[in-house]
Amino acid sequence: MQASKLRTMFIAMTAVILAASFTQAWSAESHPVTGEALSDNQTFTYRLLDQFPTLDPQLNQDVSGFHVIRDLFEGLLSQDAEGNLVPGVATHFTASDNNTTYTFALRPDARWSNGDPVTAHDFVYAWRRAVDPVTASPYGWYLELTQIVNAADILAGEKDPAELGVNAVDDHTLEVRLFAPLPYFPAMTTYATLFPAHRATIEAHGATWTAPGNMVSNGAYVLSELVLNEYHRRVKNPEYWAADNVIIEEVTGLVINDDNQALTRYRAGELDHLQPLPAGQYPALKEEMPDEATSVPRLCSYYYAINHSESGHPALKDVRVRRALSIAIDRNVIVERLLKGGQWPAYNFTHLKTAGFEMPEIAYASLDQTERDDEARRLMAASGIENLTLRLIYNTSESHKQIATVISQMWKQKLGVTTELANFEWKTYLNIMDNQEFDLARSGWCGDYNEASTFLDLLTTTHGANRGKYSNPDVDELMNASKTVEDPGAIYAEVEQILAEDMAIIPIYHYANTFLLSSDIRGWPYDNVENNWYSKNLYRVAD
Amino acid sequence: MIYYVARRLAVAVPTLLILIIVSYVLMYAAPGGPFDTERTLPPEVMANLQHKYGLDQPLVVQIWRYVVSIVTEFDFGPSFQYTDQTVNDIIRQGFPVTLTYGAWSFLVAVLAGVSLGIAAAVCHNTFLDYLCVGVSVGAQVLPNFVLAPVLTLVFTLWLAWLPGGGWQGGHWPYVVLPVIALSTSFMASIARMTRSSMLEALNADFIRTARAKGLPMRRIVIRHALKPAMLPVISYLGPTFVGMITGSVVIDVFFATGGIGQFFVNSALNRDYPVIMGITILAGALTIAFNLVVDLLYAWLDPRIRY
Repeated sequence: MQASKLRTMFIAMTAVILAASFTQAWSAESHPVTGEALSDNQTFTYRLLDQFPTLDPQLNQDVSGFHVIRDLFEGLLSQDAEGNLVPGVATHFTASDNNTTYTFALRPDARWSNGDPVTAHDFVYAWRRAVDPVTASPYGWYLELTQIVNAADILAGEKDPAELGVNAVDDHTLEVRLFAPLPYFPAMTTYATLFPAHRATIEAHGATWTAPGNMVSNGAYVLSELVLNEYHRRVKNPEYWAADNVIIEEVTGLVINDDNQALTRYRAGELDHLQPLPAGQYPALKEEMPDEATSVPRLCSYYYAINHSESGHPALKDVRVRRALSIAIDRNVIVERLLKGGQWPAYNFTHLKTAGFEMPEIAYASLDQTERDDEARRLMAASGIENLTLRLIYNTSESHKQIATVISQMWKQKLGVTTELANFEWKTYLNIMDNQEFDLARSGWCGDYNEASTFLDLLTTTHGANRGKYSNPDVDELMNASKTVEDPGAIYAEVEQILAEDMAIIPIYHYANTFLLSSDIRGWPYDNVENNWYSKNLYRVAD
Repeated sequence: MIYYVARRLAVAVPTLLILIIVSYVLMYAAPGGPFDTERTLPPEVMANLQHKYGLDQPLVVQIWRYVVSIVTEFDFGPSFQYTDQTVNDIIRQGFPVTLTYGAWSFLVAVLAGVSLGIAAAVCHNTFLDYLCVGVSVGAQVLPNFVLAPVLTLVFTLWLAWLPGGGWQGGHWPYVVLPVIALSTSFMASIARMTRSSMLEALNADFIRTARAKGLPMRRIVIRHALKPAMLPVISYLGPTFVGMITGSVVIDVFFATGGIGQFFVNSALNRDYPVIMGITILAGALTIAFNLVVDLLYAWLDPRIRY
């Protein structure tokens, strides 16, 4: 008896010792900064709403692809949990010539996943590739936006890609020349288009260079598996310069299209992270799983575009009508009764949590709804317009439909305005909006970077997404001026006032992101309004 | 018979060509294009994209180039949406998935459906008949988009027996739920069809003769009644089989299988022209092939039919 008990104990102990020696380096260790005990299981599984179209940094134009690309690749600069700039491949940079020349110093220990050093030439190659007409990147315009010398001419085929205003002074020094000053240029290098690319790999494999096994990348992870519309997996890159600080060993993204199905699978323990939650379910889930359900700001604004062009309804040319329509909307009803996910009622365009943005005092925001309704009726009566019928279009979605229905009810009851609702699938919808065949159109805009101009530029005359064709020389001039001043905050406030006065668009709400995250996963960047998470900052604590 | 098959195959070529042309033109007629996004692209960027994919050519030239590259290189072009993939890659990845769960579903639907139908017909107006009819009507009114979430709820969340989705190369636990969800309503249709045509066959003169001769019931049903009773079922099964193996968007979406059913619908929404065309041609070619198979089966089942 005794002997067999001893033997059992011995076997058990051997098993424990063996198991311990085979598990990852991090097991039974604690987090280097916080000291929390770490779990043996350092894997992270999350849900993707849709398959990302591409993992090619220069071709990417999509949020769903970008979150994978920023794990696989690293740009000059990166973001911390609050969204502040932190060193990436570059350790530091200097700006000169009134913010038109930027010089980045690259760390000598940065390496590609095949062991090659990451040099300034890799950035030059990638950026030229992004604007080369042969590449035909749908995000080529991003380099125009950065104001890099010659980007626009190269895209138009008028200059050679070699003439792009970026050059490698030596292997570890990158110099960028802009044709106009751009104080937030460094922040723009955190986006995929400006990530480096490994020339030899792309030249060897062509369009399939991003396939697992082919891809050479320089981020904290490398792509190990990819099955379209099913899943992909990325594993820790041992060549990454800060690999010692990377705790999560393996990240798996499962494509689950249906929100409710995804929720069932989260409940079944198949997922550590789920986003977005099924519409309207956030309060119930928060009650049920208070440690796991969260709502954080998301840098997007929901609004109705007003058609200011020739084809728009004549009544909408009257600012009193536009203002009456906007202020008659009880945004609290939409946010609290319909969406229920921590969104904010919006009375301006720029998302309220945008970095450095100070919310100006918008007059109608400070009234209560009864006062607004009275004002709306007064304005409508003053305009002398009666029996107004407007055409409101939205892209097919249950949530857009609910909001449109509620708003049309409010307009009917308060102003006697009739609204014809029409919905279209996405591409048809874009086509209709591009042709200005609407009076009012549901729209949303997400910031490309965390700065107010990403919103306000949209309402300048020539912007590609200004589908209501709003045009105000004052706004154009102010936004132009904002590019060169040290602190554009006052200009943004003034533009918001003009937009509110003019009611250029009808703001409705500022987005929030609702998600579920396993309670043992730590390091989530709750305070990053762009919701840019990097797997290298996550870790799983022991139970 | 060989002459008949050869003639049918010869007709298939122009049929496919017409399919390609009509689909291409219809696709073009849909508003919006593959590169339309929320942010209107600057004209120079759009021009580069159009040029890269040959969309700056006249429609006739595009169709001609498309057909030529299929015929000469069996190349169905790159995907506009998944820019790192070609249409061949997508079909190579997605078709085996739908083929697997589709073929299993077909097998399950046919075996269960035909058995239920025969049982109901043989035991006409008995409890067993009512049970079979009840089951098949119940299965018929349970569409797969209702069944799929219920199955996941029961087998994944409550019982924790099977994964709630994924494919993992067709490992069996991942195949079970898609097969149940897809086969159920087809099984019901097959059962009802088998029952009614079996009832008809059992009342036919030659069956009465067989009974009068004193043949055992099992032999009458299997040897004599089943073959003629299957004729209407078989003509239903041809296109059904093609529909099942080319995938169901509901199954692909709910169980995240990565099958081509979802690619087909997404490509239409994204205006991913080459993927729409590739899958349309695949489904078209399979339909033509299986209609031929059905016609050949007819001749085998019914000696009165000759080609």
